[in-house]
Amino acid sequence: MRLPSEAGFLTLGPALNTTERTPTNPLREGLSARPVPQPCTVVIFGASGDLTYRKLIPALYNIAADGDLPAGLTVVGFARRPKTDETFRQELETAARKVSRQSVQEELWSSFAESVFYHQSEFTNEEGYRTLAEKLDKIDAERGTRGNRLFYLAVAPDQFGLILGHLKQAGLNKARPGSWARVVVEKPFGTDLPTAEALNREVNATFPEKDTFRIDHYLGKETAQNIMVLRFANAIFEPLWNCRYIDHVQITASEPLGVEGRGPYYESSGALRDMVQNHLLQLLCLVAMEPPTDLTADSVRDEKVKVIRSLRPIAGPDVARNVVRGQYAAGAINGKPVVGYRQEDRVNPHSQTETYVALKVLIDNWRWADVPFYVRVGKRLPKAGTEIAITFKQAPSVLFNDGGGSRGQNVLVIRIQPDEGISLRMQCKMPGASVRIEPVKMDFHYGTSFGKASPEAYERLLLDAMAGDATLFARRDEVEGAWRFIDPIEAAWHGISGGQPGLYFYPAGSWGPEEADELLARDARTWRRL
Amino acid sequence: MSTPEKPATLPTLGAGMPVAIGQIDREIKALWEQSGEVASRASLMNLAIYCEGREAMARNTELIDRITKSHACRAILIGVEPHAAEPGVEAWISAHCHLSRAGAKQTCCEQITFLLRGPSADLIPNIVFSHLDSDLPLYLWWQGEFPDPVDGQLWTWVDRLIFDSKAWADPRSQSRLLRASLAKAPSRLILCDLNWTRSLYPRQALSATFDHPDYAAHLGNLHSFIITHGPGCRSTAQLLGAWLASRLGWKLATAGKHGAEFTSQSGATVSGAWREEAGAAIGSITLTAPGATFRIFRTEGSSFLHLEANLPGGRHAASLFPAGKQEEDALIVEELSRATRHGFYLDALTHAEALM
Repeated sequence: MRLPSEAGFLTLGPALNTTERTPTNPLREGLSARPVPQPCTVVIFGASGDLTYRKLIPALYNIAADGDLPAGLTVVGFARRPKTDETFRQELETAARKVSRQSVQEELWSSFAESVFYHQSEFTNEEGYRTLAEKLDKIDAERGTRGNRLFYLAVAPDQFGLILGHLKQAGLNKARPGSWARVVVEKPFGTDLPTAEALNREVNATFPEKDTFRIDHYLGKETAQNIMVLRFANAIFEPLWNCRYIDHVQITASEPLGVEGRGPYYESSGALRDMVQNHLLQLLCLVAMEPPTDLTADSVRDEKVKVIRSLRPIAGPDVARNVVRGQYAAGAINGKPVVGYRQEDRVNPHSQTETYVALKVLIDNWRWADVPFYVRVGKRLPKAGTEIAITFKQAPSVLFNDGGGSRGQNVLVIRIQPDEGISLRMQCKMPGASVRIEPVKMDFHYGTSFGKASPEAYERLLLDAMAGDATLFARRDEVEGAWRFIDPIEAAWHGISGGQPGLYFYPAGSWGPEEADELLARDARTWRRL
Repeated sequence: MSTPEKPATLPTLGAGMPVAIGQIDREIKALWEQSGEVASRASLMNLAIYCEGREAMARNTELIDRITKSHACRAILIGVEPHAAEPGVEAWISAHCHLSRAGAKQTCCEQITFLLRGPSADLIPNIVFSHLDSDLPLYLWWQGEFPDPVDGQLWTWVDRLIFDSKAWADPRSQSRLLRASLAKAPSRLILCDLNWTRSLYPRQALSATFDHPDYAAHLGNLHSFIITHGPGCRSTAQLLGAWLASRLGWKLATAGKHGAEFTSQSGATVSGAWREEAGAAIGSITLTAPGATFRIFRTEGSSFLHLEANLPGGRHAASLFPAGKQEEDALIVEELSRATRHGFYLDALTHAEALM
């Protein structure tokens, strides 16, 4: 069901499992087609953390500046440190002024800040949850939030169980009739399949799956949302979007940054768990999925899960053949020398953690039979960029393409960040009497074509969570399916299944280890140059 | 972010570079060749603007410069001097360049300017059609009264017809002509009335207010509304009142110069009034239901609309909503940003016609 719209835009989401049907608003018709966020209280656990200051509060402020914040919306920050509402608001304002997408305006901030409160408590303190419940009831009565609560766990996963247990004990996981209670969970969703399953059991013991929103901020990015539009709103791509016409797909996420003080986290994670299990497999799913029957959350996520289930497992000796892991050594970024990973702060000097990984992934279904998806992610690479490149098969070498090699292939590139856009490489005849063919590029840049800046991913995702639209959030079976694919690779690396593949080193500022190039060279292909 | 800086290599504003009518395409090509690598050409639409007089042409050239900061287009400015003694046509080309959001490279849009002297209205379709950027939609901004009869040849190719009903001297006849033009291209043409856009932010604020289920319950019981409007903006207020009536299913009972009475779906009387006050096009809207009032208003110097709600049980609520801007360039940019359809506008216009 979609709201009648004069605005004429679609949302990648449905008319949802919002709340009960309350009096309808005929004035809404024609002004917006997106699901309407409901009045609610957002309770942020870990309110003194970086995520709250840099992402969540600025996102809520920007939603307010766009006029999309539901009436009565209230934010309660739950954290350990003693702090007054006023101090909390001042700290948030200072941070928002530095990072907000839209400039902070005094008048709006004052109004917005009045809806922000601080609740000091240890996560372990039962009394803190009881007083939180009282506070939320009072807010409902005074601010009209109608018993709707969005609990945002902006904390490390090892705190989830503790907080969820206390929420359950305080009865905060159960909404009153006609209201709702939802939980938003930040990644990492586990470190392997057993921990993910345990985490999901823990979360779903307190909140049912329909009220669980797992954030993967990549899905909130405008260009990630545009993948489905590109594929299913244009007639020209989908007929070619299969193994008959596509040679291979490359998904790249590169960044020049190192671990930036996050050594201990990265040591326990590595590139495969940190990026591939979630963000890059999500992008792969959007590229590879079948058209959903409609745009409801479960229809879209059903199709993504089918892709994950079709991934050909990489295990045992296949890991060495299909996966390359690397770690950056000392080198240079932007002309400045940088240390190697093992020399980074709080990193084991003998660390075996990968900062680069390249995989050859096959999807065993009708559409993608024998089409490799090459996925690579790395730190301390020369350039920042996340993109998907669809390389089409060579045109017959009958008339013009004799000896052209891969330069003759059409490539459709979807740039996720930065410089979001889409380009298509095609062959053209160079001017002149002789037939000389050169590749040319048709290039669309969001920044050039649309003067309006995209909202931050967190803005879209918070709005969707308040509206009950889970389309852009990962479902339990997606997360567990992704771990089911990743775990055997980790197992092979760490010797559980025997025969550890090597860890290859690459100088910071290069495009990764040579072995990653060989991974494609074996298939007579090369990585795209970003 | 997009500080306007223009490359030295591209001829920019003023009227631009004079060109012979038959050489426009060639000269535009040369214009882009001059730019080399310093600029990217961008275009998402053809924006044709019809206006009268040289002053309007100069003002529109400045408007186009501001519009192209956020909406890349090929602009075709058609100025007419219908009473000029000597008939003739002149043309100029120019570029509008701005730093893009993406980086240091400039994004440039081209403008083709025509001055039609004498009785040359018949030339307009040909001038527009022969200089369109192909495959891109055509938006025609008609600044002035619609000619009678409407030119079917032109309207059938227009994707969006932009106009401002506030400027209509005879709203009834203009409205009739508008519907006639719509009848020429019912499947393609979308109407965009800047007078409707003027009330967009108040309508959005009202809509957002009544998204709250506690407040929405009062919509069916409203018994009066008062809209204050700026000088010369009574039609804006009437359109807004007409929108309320059309959305809430009220039937007009009586209409006067400063107000009207409606019958609600439940058969109750709803009184509406519009009052002129110095200030913005729409200064405030007050809706009253038994035990509840909702007032959305602007305050001087604020860039927000304020909501004050007094609810049963002595409860009060307040909120801020974006107020938007009222300048002509802001209205057109807002309109171009929206993938508008006009069904709800036409409903409101039908109700408004009865109020005029």
